[in-house]
Amino acid sequence: MPYTLIDHTADIGMRVSGATLEALFRDAALGLCDILGAGTTRAALSVPVRSRGIDRDDLLVRWLQDILFLVEVRGFRVTAVEVAGVAETEADGMLRGEFSAAPLTAEVKAVTYHGLTIERIDNGFAATIILDT
Amino acid sequence: MSTLHTRRLDPFRIEIVRTPPMRTTGLVYANQAIERTLGDENVLHQVANVAALPGIIGPSMAMPDIHWGYGFPIGGVAAFSVEDGIISPGGVGYDINCGICCILTGMRLADVRGRLDKLLTALYNHVPAGVGSSNPKLAATGREFRKVLEKGAGWAVKKGYVPPSDLEAHEDEGCIEGADPDAVSGKAVERGQPQLGTLGSGNHFLELDVVDLVSDRTTAEGFGLFEDQVVVQVHTGSRGLGHQICDDHVHAMVAAAARHGISLPDRQLACAPVRSAEGREYFGAMACAANFAFANRELIVFLIRSAFEQVFGGSFERLGMRLLFDCCHNIAKLERVVWEGAVIQACVHRKGATRALPPGDARLPGRFRETGQPVLVPGDMGRVSYILSGEPGAAETFFSACHGAGRLLSRHEAKKRARGRQILEELRRKDIRAMAASRATLAEEIPEAYKDVSDVVDTVTGAGIAKAVARLRPVAMVKG
Repeated sequence: MPYTLIDHTADIGMRVSGATLEALFRDAALGLCDILGAGTTRAALSVPVRSRGIDRDDLLVRWLQDILFLVEVRGFRVTAVEVAGVAETEADGMLRGEFSAAPLTAEVKAVTYHGLTIERIDNGFAATIILDT
Repeated sequence: MSTLHTRRLDPFRIEIVRTPPMRTTGLVYANQAIERTLGDENVLHQVANVAALPGIIGPSMAMPDIHWGYGFPIGGVAAFSVEDGIISPGGVGYDINCGICCILTGMRLADVRGRLDKLLTALYNHVPAGVGSSNPKLAATGREFRKVLEKGAGWAVKKGYVPPSDLEAHEDEGCIEGADPDAVSGKAVERGQPQLGTLGSGNHFLELDVVDLVSDRTTAEGFGLFEDQVVVQVHTGSRGLGHQICDDHVHAMVAAAARHGISLPDRQLACAPVRSAEGREYFGAMACAANFAFANRELIVFLIRSAFEQVFGGSFERLGMRLLFDCCHNIAKLERVVWEGAVIQACVHRKGATRALPPGDARLPGRFRETGQPVLVPGDMGRVSYILSGEPGAAETFFSACHGAGRLLSRHEAKKRARGRQILEELRRKDIRAMAASRATLAEEIPEAYKDVSDVVDTVTGAGIAKAVARLRPVAMVKG
């Protein structure tokens, strides 16, 4: 998967990187869905995700939180994430997959701001995100 | 990150010396054994960060079950002046009014042992548990759901699920005043409404215990506890409703903090003045989630009583099933506190901490006036739990005590250590039965993932915050 798990006593953290911000946001979304056990192989539907934040850090939290809601509450299961664009305070993308009653394998209460970083690295961007589980 | 200066004050207290930008000292309750579990400085920095927030009264405190959280530490207690202090959703946490209750029974272990497997299966079938669990049979929608948010445990009484006498056995009679359903977002309602009457997953549990040691006979009798008695503990909270309310308001307060000129060393500490529009709106929504959690635990008590009735026959009253107490772990409450001789109206944040009132406190219902408040301290699933009672020394913690054992290992590390092991069989060898909706939960909750709760209890009793009344040994459990 396009992320690595990092240790946090109460919670789960993930480290994600991408050549562009769009790739970073896509892989963070895929990482979240993998932790939740929200994968599927069917791409029957597309659901748009448009998130707004007060800055880039906030935007990443809002983006993942919006996807968490679609998965946990609306029952969307994901086979692919497409990110059309990430600006400073706006992200637009699409989840491909299907609605399903298949149970998730993990509960994520929220995507937190704690320890959140988005940084430039040599070949793109990297982020650290802590989930409250 | 700067290095913190700490000094041991006595065998049960460690001070974090005040250095800028801290507005006050930090105070960590820890004996030598607990001190060894504090690990690196992350968790102490979280105590220090809270000490830097505006309007804090007294020290930024941490109970001995402290562990690294997000923003505020888990096990943290902090009071902020209503006049010039803050309220913080992160200081309560995502699982608003996650809490615990204990149901007494009139049965001894020998009365239950022959039907233990049948009872455990009945409990597992009666109480929905696991990730995303819902309970259509107990659903409350529309105006009925608003009543849950406004009335809390009182709603469950009014609907006839539980008797009115249960209310006396609740912190604040199972209802936080000031609940404002209009402050709860549609997303929060959509996320939480189907989950009323469910246990959830993670560290939430339902556990059958036997009283294996009574250490204060008079108080135990006052509580209705006796040796070899079977009791039931339930640990759960406000489910998806609380998760979403916290997220909605942390997000709102990230922007609000800047508007109010509050500097945040960690955005998860996002906060606003108690009296600001954002602060009042959060309090109204948080109280709704707290009341949902009170009602949720009462519905689970109803389901547990039904399971006992099915297995043993007769009514739950005849089986001696009475609620001992129900208390909040994650909450912000408006309380009058005394600090340096002054009485101050404060917003007391307890994130992974329990209120602990001593004998004689006017806030206690009549049945606990002489004994003090029961303080329920669950341990891990393989060792023991404790029932304590509040002591006068709790005045220094604004009447707060520990809430459990406190995590020692991350969930990831616990799973690694559980790999290849038969956890159910390990428990069975200790004469403990367990059923779980998920193997992953069992792996995350292995006993060594937690501190030894006896060290936690030794610290709070040594510090004079509470006294030990009884020790419980687990017999059977349902995990999410």
